[in-house]
Amino acid sequence: MKILLVDDSETARVLLERFLIQAGYTDLEKVDSAAEAFDKLGMNGPSAPVPKMDMIMLDVVMPEMDGIEACQRIKAVESLRDIPIIMVTGKTDDESLQRAFDMGAIDYITKPLNKVELLARVRSALKLKQEMDDRKEATRKLEAANHQLQLLSLLDGLTGIANRRNFDETLDKEWRRGLRDGHPLSLILGDIDCFKAYNDNYGHQAGDECLKLVAQTIAGMVKRPGDLAARYGGEEFVVVLPETGMKNAALLAEELREKVESRNLPHAFSKVSEVVTLSLGVASALPSRECTPANLIEAADQALYQAKHSGRNRVGASPEKIE
Amino acid sequence: MEDTDSKQNERHVVRADPEIADLIPDFLEMRQEDVKTILDALEKNDFKTIHILAHSMKGSGGGYGFDRISVIGNFLEDAAENKDPEECLRVVNVLANYLANVKVIY
Repeated sequence: MKILLVDDSETARVLLERFLIQAGYTDLEKVDSAAEAFDKLGMNGPSAPVPKMDMIMLDVVMPEMDGIEACQRIKAVESLRDIPIIMVTGKTDDESLQRAFDMGAIDYITKPLNKVELLARVRSALKLKQEMDDRKEATRKLEAANHQLQLLSLLDGLTGIANRRNFDETLDKEWRRGLRDGHPLSLILGDIDCFKAYNDNYGHQAGDECLKLVAQTIAGMVKRPGDLAARYGGEEFVVVLPETGMKNAALLAEELREKVESRNLPHAFSKVSEVVTLSLGVASALPSRECTPANLIEAADQALYQAKHSGRNRVGASPEKIE
Repeated sequence: MEDTDSKQNERHVVRADPEIADLIPDFLEMRQEDVKTILDALEKNDFKTIHILAHSMKGSGGGYGFDRISVIGNFLEDAAENKDPEECLRVVNVLANYLANVKVIY
């Protein structure tokens, strides 16, 4: 642990250094003024990066700038704010101490130095710093891991919307809820028309961008809490609509189709249009013990197939009544 | 502060902390230097210099094992703050006397 000692009196510095070195704190920097301290801390403009300090011991009474002001200046720097500062002072009146604490000092040591007290407070401050550093590191790792986990488990890497697994779980959940509540559950299955041709001609990077745009467009329109837009596969998307019947689901599907078309993403190689379009299949079910989510997906798939084979860029509604 | 003639030559005995024993000779030598510097400063009525030195010795004396030097520093600091030349002289003489008579046991 690196400690910065700031005191204008050499006599004082020598003694402090001795006590610290003997206690095992051998990594010390000694300066005789606040100005020099700022230099060591890299506060005087951009220059070579400075080694990080783990603690600062700051004498209060110094010519030019006193320790209280130095403390305030140091604490004003974001990157230095967490370094514990111990004031070393002969002034122990309440007002001085209060000022020191107000400026952000974590502790104080009185002069003349008492070795036992000094070392106890230094140890305490360094322990605190270590714990803070450990906690920051742990938090950083946790956040990174969380982020990773999120990405892997629920979100599609490319488009950023819900992934297939997410959809599977959600469908299952909403199906069971539908079983309990007796509400219908609808599904919209969408597929980008002539996507292979898009990819082959415009390249995979453009293909990826197209997928992202379509995903965003769909997800942007699926706003009710409980509804979910997910990437089902390659160029396929799916929307889960709990507590929604065929009529409303079909309406939304048409809105989706229309919205994607109106993005006017050029697709010179589409057999259907000059822009990117979607074919969609809609199906609805009243969850019961006699049917399963798979039935619902199958029905939506069939409806999609119908849409594809009736000219694409349209919505197909499943005639089946799944219940 | 009572320092009568009879006490002037009383030897003050200080046991050196073995961990800082090697620092003590320099410390005492610096304080001898301080006496000279303070007397010079007095001639010029430079109370600022006296104050700085007094403050320093007040803060460090005890740490090196010389509580009395801290006490002396305290009085000297007050005297310098009050810009009192007679008191400054009196106290610096106490310091000189102390330094001449102190015995350090290593």
